[in-house]
Amino acid sequence: MTAQAPALLSLAGVTASVDEKTILHGIDLTVAAGETHVLMGPNGAGKSTMGHVIMGDPVYTLNDGTITFDGEDISGLSCDKRSRAGLFLSFQAPVEIPGVPLSSFLRASIAGRPGLEMKGKEFRRRVKELAAELDMDVSYLNRELGVGFSGGEKKKVEMLQLLLLQPKLAILDETDSGLDVDALSVVSRGMDAYRRSTDGSLLIITHNTRILEHLDVDRVHVMVGGRIVREGDADLIPWIDEHGFESFEREASSAKAEA
Amino acid sequence: MAKKRTEVADIDRSLYDFTYGEDDFERLDAGLTTEIVREISERKDEPSWMLDLRLKSLEIYQKKAGPTWGPDISGLDMDNIVTYVKPNTDQRSDWDSVPDDIKNTFERLGIPEAERSYLAGVGAQYDSELVYHNIQDTAAKMGIVYSGIEEALHEPKWEAIIREKFMTLIPPTDHKFAALHGAVWSGGSFVYVPAGTKLDFPLQSYFRLNAKGAGQFEHTLIVVEDDADLHFIEGCSAPKYNVANLHAGAVELFVGKRAHLRYSTIENWSKNMYNLNTKRSRVEEGGEIEWISGSFGSHVGYLYPMSILAGRRAKSSFTGITFAGAGQNLDTGCKVVLAAPETRATVETKGISKGGGVQTFRSSIVATPEATGSAATVSCASLMLDDQSRSDTIPAMDIRAKNVDIGHEATIGRIGDDKIFYLMSRGISEEEARTMIVNGFASPVSKELPLEYAVEMNNLIKLEMEGAIG
Amino acid sequence: MARSVEKTTPTVLSGVNAMPAPTWSWLKMNSAKVEVPAGLEPAPARVSVEVADGSADVLSANADAFDDALVAAGKRFASRARASAPGDAAQQAAVAAGLLDEMDVPALSLYQHGALRVEEELSVPEAFASGMGAEAWAYLRRLGRKATVVDVPSGARATVTVRVSGAPGAAAAASVDVIARRGSSLSLVLALDGEADGAADGAAGGAAPGLVGAALRVFAGQESRVAVTTVQTADDAFVALDDTGLFLDEGARVEVSHTVLGAGAAYTGLAADLRGDGARIDIATSYLGARDQERDFNYEIRHFGRRTVSNMDANGVLAGSSKKVLRGTIDLMHGAHGAEGAERETVLLADEGVTNKTVPVILCDEDDVAGNHGATIGHVRPEQLFYLGCRGLSKEAAEDLFIAAKLEDAALSAPDEATRASVVRLGEAVVPHFKEEIA
Repeated sequence: MTAQAPALLSLAGVTASVDEKTILHGIDLTVAAGETHVLMGPNGAGKSTMGHVIMGDPVYTLNDGTITFDGEDISGLSCDKRSRAGLFLSFQAPVEIPGVPLSSFLRASIAGRPGLEMKGKEFRRRVKELAAELDMDVSYLNRELGVGFSGGEKKKVEMLQLLLLQPKLAILDETDSGLDVDALSVVSRGMDAYRRSTDGSLLIITHNTRILEHLDVDRVHVMVGGRIVREGDADLIPWIDEHGFESFEREASSAKAEA
Repeated sequence: MAKKRTEVADIDRSLYDFTYGEDDFERLDAGLTTEIVREISERKDEPSWMLDLRLKSLEIYQKKAGPTWGPDISGLDMDNIVTYVKPNTDQRSDWDSVPDDIKNTFERLGIPEAERSYLAGVGAQYDSELVYHNIQDTAAKMGIVYSGIEEALHEPKWEAIIREKFMTLIPPTDHKFAALHGAVWSGGSFVYVPAGTKLDFPLQSYFRLNAKGAGQFEHTLIVVEDDADLHFIEGCSAPKYNVANLHAGAVELFVGKRAHLRYSTIENWSKNMYNLNTKRSRVEEGGEIEWISGSFGSHVGYLYPMSILAGRRAKSSFTGITFAGAGQNLDTGCKVVLAAPETRATVETKGISKGGGVQTFRSSIVATPEATGSAATVSCASLMLDDQSRSDTIPAMDIRAKNVDIGHEATIGRIGDDKIFYLMSRGISEEEARTMIVNGFASPVSKELPLEYAVEMNNLIKLEMEGAIG
Repeated sequence: MARSVEKTTPTVLSGVNAMPAPTWSWLKMNSAKVEVPAGLEPAPARVSVEVADGSADVLSANADAFDDALVAAGKRFASRARASAPGDAAQQAAVAAGLLDEMDVPALSLYQHGALRVEEELSVPEAFASGMGAEAWAYLRRLGRKATVVDVPSGARATVTVRVSGAPGAAAAASVDVIARRGSSLSLVLALDGEADGAADGAAGGAAPGLVGAALRVFAGQESRVAVTTVQTADDAFVALDDTGLFLDEGARVEVSHTVLGAGAAYTGLAADLRGDGARIDIATSYLGARDQERDFNYEIRHFGRRTVSNMDANGVLAGSSKKVLRGTIDLMHGAHGAEGAERETVLLADEGVTNKTVPVILCDEDDVAGNHGATIGHVRPEQLFYLGCRGLSKEAAEDLFIAAKLEDAALSAPDEATRASVVRLGEAVVPHFKEEIA
């Protein structure tokens, strides 16, 4: 247990819905500072939804429960405030925003953040450094955000922001990354650099365990049907690798039948 | 591939182009005066508010200038147009008691047969008055009212509703021909579909303008209450004369909350007609209006059905086709006002011009500041069948709302030689290939029509295409 | 010809930027009225012309050079006129004489009659027009007093910059005639700038008004290459009038770039006559509307020549309570076999109070052509806002981002340092530390 470490993020009884359809049912989850957590589960379990709900995506309605981050109830905050509080959510891919160069966007994202805000030259030097670290072509900085980027390039853009913003907690939604070898290596490199340069926490959302190799995982949560059905330490990962999620799904459906 | 074309021969329109005498018809003097307007009103024995509206409209008509942006209408001399022609019969509800000439007209147009096979009700207007109106018992028992609008004006219950709504969507101040309509309107249908009522079979009105040099000014008013559903079909035709005829009807459609109305029209006027028709609908929350509109015939056409999406999540779709042949200038399209949150509008039109004909697609999409979260898409395609014709596309957009998405696409061109070549290489004649391609081009409209009308439309296209190859 | 403009005249120019085929008047899009601030002093001295090093000797004293070139070219195109057409004057005369049935002749609109007149009757010089229309053109030409004539000899190359530096109380407009002879190449930069009194911020706020403008005629000769780059960066106290008329001979290629960033009210008009076979014009328009600024555009491209090509591409951001009208007309005249015209517009509405009007028109009197247009009008999408929010941008910051991006793009692609400095001056008023950020 990690009870002795102060909780950085905690969800208490979080129930959330979209278009009047409930997706998350009473989620309790705690991540302490400096820890690495993994959220696993089959397709459609609600994993990505949880990431978006923590970040405050207005598409979802928080019906019940509270989300506390860094000692503050953030349940009612808009997503930009959550970002500035130190939360980060990586997207499967950045949305396409024609007309806005990546560099303009990056500058706007750090503007007004104490300790992160940088002026012209300093900013450009920093971004170039990070780009080099991720093996990213600097010419992408002048391209429109997300427009015409390949899968690997999109991931690089997400990791670049992770390193630039240095959040206290990064939620990496890597549900789809498992299949793309390029993307996978970009994410691994980004996570390494993030862990090296900060003492931040990680919550990795995936159903593919390859991304977790070489990673010290503190805690694993398994989600099925919008509920956390099992929690354990890193040993759960090889077990899932071998057995998949079927047994959890069976348990969940029989529990439902009983209820 | 060298292309040789000949001028298109006159089309065989004998299907529509026949006339009967009007010897014992009552015909008011040509022209437009207070006396004529008073006389029309008197004959109809209508409420005094209606006479007031007529006189007010006449005043507006006399002050208002005509349109300067569209086809030339200087050939339309109102001093020569007879605004009121009463056929030699009162309104009937069985075809046998309709006088032979008129009955034969509608027989040849296939109306009684259509009524027997798939319509829930039919109204037939000949010149200025309805000559036949009937609704199937099943529909009547559901509480659906389908009657002549003048007849309904004499029922106190319906008079109240008509008075509340009549010419509110199309006020006489709207344009010169709306004012004219307000002054001399005659005939047309009133439909009332009670809340929650869904009619499985369409109602149809058919307007035949037989009299030479006359005008037809019917008024259609349809109220579809909340959660109700109706399909209404309108057909129009006239024989050809060498003097101008005028059609300035008005259609006002009120679509309630979550209600659905489909309004299908094939206007097939003769080529001496000035068709200056106005159609509008207002759609409340969650309701939907669907316009299916085919414009054939007419010397000049001005026709832009308008949808006012007044309630949240109201929807409109407009599917239209216009075919302009020799001597025709058809200016058609639609107007949409997005005036509430999360409304949706789609517009898909096809325009064809041939034999020196002119067709213009004209539209406006207006999103008011209230229309947050709304979306509209417009797509229009024009096909030119020879090098003597003309085709213009004039779509306007005025967007003032938040979070709206407006998409617009238009294309113009002719049938690609490669397509013709491909079909001909499979043994199809050039004429057949062209007709096939034009029918395909028109299919988004024809597939929305009831089968009988789709067949009629394809026949019209075939008629128009005959002799198109040199 | 030029009667000098008195201080008091005129105050209103009407029928400006009128689209050739108008639509419903209730939409209030058919044309604009320009209110010229009262009491402005014509200031021809505020126009400067620079010919870049290495350019051919192109400044000419021959004030008739443009008209002569047009008349000469017109003789070559005289035989192009259409002989007869449904609904034309000859047919109408036949109807009047009772030889033709009125119902067999299409009842053409005013525009359609006019188009036939152009095809059948008007010579090239008679048909030549500018985008803003005769009244505005005459006003601007009178302000300019004497036109600068840029005559690029056959096969030569030149780069010319014309700067209009407006000032409070002044009406400054450039009059420029360009003749690009066969096979020549010209790059023309038109910088319209105007700095208001103590203009630390771009907003009008009671500053004395001014006017900047340009009236440009271009004769692009056979196989010539002409690039026109206009950047307008005036402060809000100014009215900007940018009017252009172009003639394209066989194989001429013209590229136009209009960047409209400043001025409280900015009017841009352009008409092009693609008369020669294979002529091509590409127009890229980039605009920004903020505060209560007004932007009004009218583009008319007339295709006469075979296989002529036109592309209009407009891209804009509207914020605050700004208003914009964009009229774009592709006019495919009879005989323009194989011509292709395309127009696209993308508009981002960054605020709720904006008014955005667009009318992309295709007029077509020839079947062997391809015309298409598209428009996309949208706001910052919810998923975009969420993504930006996740990176710490408030809704306001997200909307500002699009404005900043527009200005940055303009600064990066500015044709010269002076223009870049003007963009930066405007940017500083809107984006904090703009100068530093793009340094």
